[in-house]
Amino acid sequence: MTAQLPILAVAPLLFGAFAVTVGRFLFRRANYAVAALALAASFAASVLLAIRILSQGTAIYFVGGWPPPIGISYVADPLSALMLAFVSGAALCTFLASKAEIETSYPLKNSAFFALFLLAVAGHMGIVITGDAFNLYVLIEVAALSGYAILAQGRERAMLSSLNYLFVGSLGASLYLLGMGYLYIMTGSLNMADLSGIIGQLAPDGLSGSTALAAAWGVILAGLFVKMGLFPFHSWLPAAYSFSAAPAAALVAPLTTKVMAYVLVRMILSVFTPDAAWSLPAVNTLVLILATAAILYGSFCALAQRSLRKMLCFILLSEVGYMVGGAFLGNRAALTGTIYHIFADLLMTLCLFLAASNVERGTGGRFSDMGGLFRRMPVTAAAMAMGGLSMIGVPPFCGFFSKWYLLSGAISAGSYVFAGALVLSSLVNAVLFFRIFEIGFFGTPAAPSASSGEAAHGHPEPIPLFCDEMPAARLAPLCVVAAGLVAMGLLTGEIVRLAVNAVLPPGLG
Amino acid sequence: MHELFAEFGNKFHYYAYFAIMMIGLYAMIAKTNLLKKCIGLGIFQTAIMLFYVSIGAKEGAGIPIIDPALGTADPAAYANPLPQVLMLTAIVVSVATLGVALALIQNIHRDHGTIEEDEILQRLRGK
Repeated sequence: MTAQLPILAVAPLLFGAFAVTVGRFLFRRANYAVAALALAASFAASVLLAIRILSQGTAIYFVGGWPPPIGISYVADPLSALMLAFVSGAALCTFLASKAEIETSYPLKNSAFFALFLLAVAGHMGIVITGDAFNLYVLIEVAALSGYAILAQGRERAMLSSLNYLFVGSLGASLYLLGMGYLYIMTGSLNMADLSGIIGQLAPDGLSGSTALAAAWGVILAGLFVKMGLFPFHSWLPAAYSFSAAPAAALVAPLTTKVMAYVLVRMILSVFTPDAAWSLPAVNTLVLILATAAILYGSFCALAQRSLRKMLCFILLSEVGYMVGGAFLGNRAALTGTIYHIFADLLMTLCLFLAASNVERGTGGRFSDMGGLFRRMPVTAAAMAMGGLSMIGVPPFCGFFSKWYLLSGAISAGSYVFAGALVLSSLVNAVLFFRIFEIGFFGTPAAPSASSGEAAHGHPEPIPLFCDEMPAARLAPLCVVAAGLVAMGLLTGEIVRLAVNAVLPPGLG
Repeated sequence: MHELFAEFGNKFHYYAYFAIMMIGLYAMIAKTNLLKKCIGLGIFQTAIMLFYVSIGAKEGAGIPIIDPALGTADPAAYANPLPQVLMLTAIVVSVATLGVALALIQNIHRDHGTIEEDEILQRLRGK
């Protein structure tokens, strides 16, 4: 049984997606429970797998019993096992927190939404665990296609934004496929472990020795940057995530950019090996410039926003810059920071998007609607404050530690401009979130739309009871995620030791 | 001059796929009609499929099904089947992408009555 855990982490989602599609005609009322059960089963298998891998080391699962390089392998190493647990946990939290939202945002199409949700999660989990470079392309498209479909339902511009995302996203995935074609010409293999061995033989002194390999790396990078929305390729991201219905954004925003950053790290670590991946100085410099530009652009555009979700989307853009920049600074501390930040940012984005969806439901998503938020929605506001503090980088939260690693990596690489951009973006984040805290604490509540009698008579609104704010089912996942921010911060040493140091090559300086 | 022709002749499929890919990219960027953008995306993806299939081809090789007359001793007698198989998968993916895109375009047309991107943006701004 334990040997099958890698496939058991993904299979329930696929079967669940099938079951809810069929169940639309058979057991419509139970569909939510079926989907939640599939997500819970996948989460349980991922956690068991992570515990087993972190204590016993890497396991390779041969899908269908075909050994690589012929067959497709699922590689559960410490990094991918922990990532699986984070991805499935994030999806489960979003799903449990958004029950009411799903029912109102997708009327009559609940079952379709459940199936697409499960498929999107399955795609992301497959991307994380697969050890085959072509399989990765297919799973990127599985994740993306279900993502386009669930993001398309929303406010007026959602459909057009989603179509634009589809065009840009397919372009990015196609570029990845093209780069893999170059690699295949040179190596004749698509298995990642196999590829890294052959690339090491073909280009022992770095990629500059082989034009085709260098071109492959460049094209793959371009494709991944388009998919994760790095600065010049970002235009699809804010529109696609801010016009869609809240549950779709809360699922896709934490997962897609982070999983793509994970693919970038995977390419550097497992396919090209760090020595080869960093052997082209021109590429490193260019990527660092783009990453710095992404951080600054995201931060300053976030300052100009007047609605919560849009602001979060631009913060997301600058976080992409953090991860990409850290992956190309070329030292151990920075790469540790990138990997740790993938996990940390997944939790922070999840926390903030879940909180934002509660706020949107309770008061409306514009800053002007959010006056008195801390009194009206104390739990949501507290969780948002924790997410915000973590984004700023305040010590007990995990955001501080990833920034610490990235900063020390940037300084030891002598890249002071990137270090400066990191600090500046932290300061901008502080401005952004303290502005929200100010509105939430001291702003006067806008007249509630369903105005109670007392509000109409000019009395101050009664302080709501704790459980009046939102149903506990919506708040509990949010509280778990917010607590996770602190827990992950306190466990930084363990995570870096077990999941990061175990996958970084020992000789990396 | 002769060398230039030889260089081009040996690698003409790379030039061809690249030219087709750029035509697709041009359509995706320059056209405002959403369906034409879709067609551009299709051309872009097809160019990459062409590239893959072309790298599996060999001069004088037959289809990659074992022929009793030829046996398996000489791999040069068969085209490389792997790129073709990969592209079958890629074709399925691009069909699915096209399906989602067409569904979205249909809904956009239902909401706005047009599939010209600039007109839709104008209508959205007007609201």
